[in-house]
Amino acid sequence: MGKKSLVVLVLVLCLGLVLTGCPKKTVVKEEPSVRKAEEPAVAEREKAAKAEAEKVTKEARERELAKIREEEAKKTKEKEFERSLVAKKEPGIEGEVLESKLLKDIHFDFDKYDIRPGDAEILKENAALLMKYPKVKIQIEGHCDERGTNEYNLALGERRANAAKKYLISLGLTADRVSTISYGEERPFDAGHNEEAWGKNRRDHFVVLAK
Amino acid sequence: MLNYFFPLVCLLLFTFVPAIEARVYLDINAPSFVQIPVVLPKWKGVNKTPADLPVKVYEILANDLTLSGFFKVIDYPRFPASLKEKEGIPTNHSLQEWTSAGGEILLAGETSLESGGQNLVLKFHLFDLVEQKHIIGKQYEGHPQALRKMAHRMADEVVLQLTGERGVHNTKFAYVAFAGGNKEIFIADFDGANVKQITQNRSINLSPVWSPDGKKIAFTSYLRRNPDLYLIDTDGQNLQRLTSYPGLNVSPSWSPDGKKIALMMGLEGKSEIFLIDASGGNPKKLTTGHGNEASPTWAPDGKKIAFVSDRSGSPQIYIMGADGSDVRRLTFEGTYNSNPSWSPKGERIAFCGRVQGHFDIFTIGIDGLGLQRLTSNSGSNESPCWSPDGRYIAFSSNRLGSSKVFIMNANGFNQRPLTSGKGGESSPAWSRPFE
Repeated sequence: MGKKSLVVLVLVLCLGLVLTGCPKKTVVKEEPSVRKAEEPAVAEREKAAKAEAEKVTKEARERELAKIREEEAKKTKEKEFERSLVAKKEPGIEGEVLESKLLKDIHFDFDKYDIRPGDAEILKENAALLMKYPKVKIQIEGHCDERGTNEYNLALGERRANAAKKYLISLGLTADRVSTISYGEERPFDAGHNEEAWGKNRRDHFVVLAK
Repeated sequence: MLNYFFPLVCLLLFTFVPAIEARVYLDINAPSFVQIPVVLPKWKGVNKTPADLPVKVYEILANDLTLSGFFKVIDYPRFPASLKEKEGIPTNHSLQEWTSAGGEILLAGETSLESGGQNLVLKFHLFDLVEQKHIIGKQYEGHPQALRKMAHRMADEVVLQLTGERGVHNTKFAYVAFAGGNKEIFIADFDGANVKQITQNRSINLSPVWSPDGKKIAFTSYLRRNPDLYLIDTDGQNLQRLTSYPGLNVSPSWSPDGKKIALMMGLEGKSEIFLIDASGGNPKKLTTGHGNEASPTWAPDGKKIAFVSDRSGSPQIYIMGADGSDVRRLTFEGTYNSNPSWSPKGERIAFCGRVQGHFDIFTIGIDGLGLQRLTSNSGSNESPCWSPDGRYIAFSSNRLGSSKVFIMNANGFNQRPLTSGKGGESSPAWSRPFE
């Protein structure tokens, strides 16, 4: 063999390599384009399905969370009302009594005992709260400012307490849950001697009677 | 058990010259009167009486005569030098020298402590310095602990001799005052002495009134979380709940015969005037209508009741029969009239009326005529209450800052505080005389 035949052999071998190599590349090049045509559709469907699944889970989870939050809030509110109850200490007056900032006072015009519209709204709130706790009994205290005589003011306080009682009963509270007491001018909220103090003193105050 | 009720004093009447006709020295029912100047020489202690006894008697007597409002008392420090140190009872012959003391009447006396300190004797004589004659002399005896009582009795006698009606120096007051921050019931003598706290329950205690026999006090207390009506002995014992109807049981007023009590009751949702038995039972509603009814007070004959009603739109005084019949409005002036008190003499009613934001004491005839205003420019004045003889009115006033119980003559004269305490006093009730 001569040099010539060796070169030819090498060339043939190279060619052979090349020839055998290329077709592989060509095949590889060919597959992605096919997949590219198919993938979008599949991917889309997968994506949609995934999103859907995620959505369902998310909604379920949110509902779950909302429910938990609601229950928590309810418990908090209950605890809030319970926690808001503070014992009222009155050594000379028998009976255990509790007060809560959630049971709001209502106020009256001078020499009057009718419930004003704004105060009616407060009574509605108080009623709504009390409807949630059917076992709770309250006492409505009727108070007056210091002007006027002590005895007539006791009569006026009696009217103020009973006016609120009547309204609360009309909102659904049962009469056996609501008692009244008039303090006249004997228990002012504000010991001042001016219009501001007097306005604060003309009030009904709500207390919870401990069992 | 010690008997706290001292043996009754006994009287011995000494009259040297009987008075031929009763001279009226002072018409106390006149709208205004000039006080009688009364000269009071030093009292004498005889038979080795401790020096403080005549001094004490003198002080109580001089104070009582001043408090009565009828007299201008000239006591011995104000005498001319020649008379200052004279003690005891002058003779008819020596009356002459007393004319320079500046009085029309002379009241002199002596004390003696006998029977080993167990018997106190007080002797007094009354002289008319204008006519230079003796009026009357009297003697009182009793245990030394009854000294105040005996001195008051002497003052009553002097008032009787010179004004035609007996004094009320042996009466007492019940009233409300603050103790430890709470309204409690108190009792004090007419001259403000012997202040006693009757309740100690730290509650709200209101509107005390005396039973007609003077043995008990009815009042309202919030002890059991309701304004209930209670009875208590005047020594603070035997607390008894009389009524406990739901709502108000306040502002009691005893009928003159002691059998019934009128009061405000809120049993039906608003305040009405009710009658109950003195034992607390048998409630009977007297008032009707849509108003608020308050503050009942009995007429002395037991046939009528005056009270407050706002049925016309504002609180006014009304009169009705003791059975609730024949309701008639009494006050028509002013926008707020309250706390009526019926005079024991029967023809006038005292009340407080609002004038420009404060209260003043008024009296009015039961026929609605003759309205008289008794206080003005003196703070706010409420809760008038007549003396048992109808010649004085006690009331509460904040003219000195804090509320105090005041007394005045029924014509508004001589207004003075009852006690010298700090204040926070209100709602006076006047007892019958305690002899």
